[in-house]
Amino acid sequence: MPLLEVKDLHVGFPSHGRILEVVRGVSFTLEPGEALGLVGESGSGKSQTALSILRLLKPPGRILSGSVRFEGVELTQLDDRAMSALRGAGLSMVFQDAMASLNPAFTIGTQITDAIRAHRPVTRSTARDLAVDALTRVGIREAGSRLAQYPHQFSGGMRQRALIAMAIACRPRLLVADEPTTALDVTVQAQIVRLLAELRQELGLALLFITHNLDLMAQICDRALVMYGGLVLEEAPVAALFATPHQPYTAALMGCVPRLSDVPGQLGVIEGAPPIAGRMGPGCPFEPRCSQRIDRCVTERPPERRDGDRRVTCWVAA
Amino acid sequence: MSDTVRGPGTVSTLLRRPAGLIGATLVAIVVLAALLAPWIAPADPVMVNLAVKLQPPGAAHWLGTDQTGRDLLSRILWGARPSLAVGLVAVLIGLVGGCGVGLTAGYYRGLWAQASMRVMDGLTSIPLLIWAIAVIGIVGVGPVHIGSLTLPNEAKVALLIGLFYMPPLARVTYGSALVEAASDYVRARQSQGAGDVAILVGDVLPNCLSPVIVQATLLVAVGIIVEASLSFIGLGVEPPNPSWGTMLADARSFVFTGQWWMSVCPGAAISASVIGFNLLGDALRDALDPRRSHGAPALSGLLG
Amino acid sequence: MRPLLKLDGVGKTYRLDDRLLTRMTRRTRSLAAVSGVDLVLRRGDVLGVVGESGCGKSTLARMILGMETPSAGRIHFDGQDITALSGTALIPIRKRMQMVFQDPGGSLNPRKTVRRVLTESLGLAGVPSQERAGAAISLLERVGLNATQLDRYPHELSGGQRQRVAIARALAMKPDLIVADEPVSALDVSLQAQIIRLLMRLRDELGLTLIFISHDLALVHHLCSEVIVMQAGRIVERGAPSDVLHRPTHAYTKLLLDAVPRVDVLARP
Repeated sequence: MPLLEVKDLHVGFPSHGRILEVVRGVSFTLEPGEALGLVGESGSGKSQTALSILRLLKPPGRILSGSVRFEGVELTQLDDRAMSALRGAGLSMVFQDAMASLNPAFTIGTQITDAIRAHRPVTRSTARDLAVDALTRVGIREAGSRLAQYPHQFSGGMRQRALIAMAIACRPRLLVADEPTTALDVTVQAQIVRLLAELRQELGLALLFITHNLDLMAQICDRALVMYGGLVLEEAPVAALFATPHQPYTAALMGCVPRLSDVPGQLGVIEGAPPIAGRMGPGCPFEPRCSQRIDRCVTERPPERRDGDRRVTCWVAA
Repeated sequence: MSDTVRGPGTVSTLLRRPAGLIGATLVAIVVLAALLAPWIAPADPVMVNLAVKLQPPGAAHWLGTDQTGRDLLSRILWGARPSLAVGLVAVLIGLVGGCGVGLTAGYYRGLWAQASMRVMDGLTSIPLLIWAIAVIGIVGVGPVHIGSLTLPNEAKVALLIGLFYMPPLARVTYGSALVEAASDYVRARQSQGAGDVAILVGDVLPNCLSPVIVQATLLVAVGIIVEASLSFIGLGVEPPNPSWGTMLADARSFVFTGQWWMSVCPGAAISASVIGFNLLGDALRDALDPRRSHGAPALSGLLG
Repeated sequence: MRPLLKLDGVGKTYRLDDRLLTRMTRRTRSLAAVSGVDLVLRRGDVLGVVGESGCGKSTLARMILGMETPSAGRIHFDGQDITALSGTALIPIRKRMQMVFQDPGGSLNPRKTVRRVLTESLGLAGVPSQERAGAAISLLERVGLNATQLDRYPHELSGGQRQRVAIARALAMKPDLIVADEPVSALDVSLQAQIIRLLMRLRDELGLTLIFISHDLALVHHLCSEVIVMQAGRIVERGAPSDVLHRPTHAYTKLLLDAVPRVDVLARP
């Protein structure tokens, strides 16, 4: 049974009397222990998808329709209490801005032990031991004394590690990481990604890794989804995706990622700008910027075509 | 080319909420009363006519008459003038002084910021009403002569209150100015050689205005009450000029003798004005919230 | 040919805990944000400055732009020693060096239209008022926008468009030097590429001299003619990108390069 099954998810929010959809029919599955990358730019709906899975959407945003099943349980129908119990224990999330995710008024230790004790009936001292264990596991040395420190006393990379420690303290089966490394230095990024990979191995953790950094995603993920304009435009195993991208957007995106191996000065480009919710036409959201568009792309939304373990949403791609 | 959604304007957002609508309506009524009093008041507010004294509200006098036969409705309408005048002039003085101090303190920082903000703190520690009573008590009640201008006693009240409005307005401006003065767009202007005054007025001030406007609106309400209070104890508007405060003072002897209209009418006028300005200020605070005043940032906060 | 910018032993030390009591008891600590920086920049050079947070690259940029005074060393701009200049004497120099900031949202006044931002800058650059409107449109076209953006407010523009306007604003002063501090870090990948392409085009068309601060080594590889690597306030390696980024000698540079995710290797633990 898949760990996570998302079927035809629609997420939107009301604005000036209309409903603006930011996720317009997204489906995917995640097996236990698997690492899935969710790649997209602003307006792609990737963060909204992730937040919907954990039911952490900021109102007035809400799930309009669709199903999110975690270990067979339909999350969209759960009451708040059941969902709270599941968050942290079954599935967990790590965000981009660690400083904003941590409460500056409480010590790291308090925050981790609170998270633990919310899900497991343990004594305070047991919780503290578990917290020390969690911090050590994420590579923070002298975890015992670190527990008494406040978030502002941690460096950016360490804060992110502490956040990950909190997220895995109760051994969830799924970790959703929304741009966890974007604000960090490149050496720290590499460390965090390595950490996530280790945790996957040790804990059998499944990972949903959301990012706009294709190359970073490739370091850790087995499969990738490429999102644009609220839709999944392509899905493939990472190696296949990089070797032969089918969707024009995927290909164009890869072309404009700067790499040290490029010929200096030769950088691919996608003209135009990402789409805006509520301002998209009936057809393919990428059509205005696509170099391979045909007339049909403007008027009709392309169908999803499966080919083995790959999926493409495109009129033109084979 | 990409386009972003243009949100509703501030005024329409303001009027869409019940608080904003009621507040704006009440304020509009008060302002119109003050402006149009000479034309819409049915009678001369200071004309004494003992024959019709202490008349309850009726056909001839819609709100009744006071103990000297003066028409209450006219006095209420005319009474809006000193209340509004003091409130608005005081806020104006406070804005000019307070914003000036707050802006320069936030921009230049250093010793000036420390010294001026401490002075502002000091002023805040003095209770306004006690201070006003003390000063006017010492200076005396009476018209003020400035050159060829003769200003009524309320001018002293306005000046005093204005002085005391400087600290809250300075503090609010200072908070915003500190943030805005450190922003990249100010640095860009500095690097292009723009003068400090041009930057303060053109770049920093407009981005500090929202909380200042809210505060200023609420302070008008305070001014109305202070003017009424001082007039009530005889240190504000001099009789026979109409003021809601003096009307309340006149009504003191008649509270338990059945002439309810004499105290209820000016009381209601004061309450309505104060509630109106308070509601307006609250609604302005919501309408001017930067996340709502432009449609696009509200959207972009929700998008990925 | 006189270099445009020359730095000799430039350093900046901050005094921490700088309060009255600690100053009297000499218990202040100091932080050397930048030390011993030597640099020569010729017209037409594009210098990449790479390093991680806290390495001092932003402090260095601020000193070059005259926003901070160096604690040590001298800065020469176009032959003139500007180290100790301040106030009105510094203004004409500062106009010749413009900055493009990281956050396009914060670098434009939210209450000014594009037209106003550009015409104000053109005014400060000495363009007569009747020519400003036309010059503003030319600026917009040069950065890949057009006249329809003139009456927009920043919040009505996308991140990429805002950054283009910021570049146009810098160009309005016809500067000798542009310092871009992480100008594309806050943008989407496809927009990053657009802005980098724009900078490359401006470099070729206008012969711009550019200092490009970035943590993204691949961008530096594309855009720059020379690279310096900073660590803890010092320059640890310098040279052409083909040397520094592909044949590094310093251990720290190698560390940075190792951390860059490489797609060809796709290694998994």
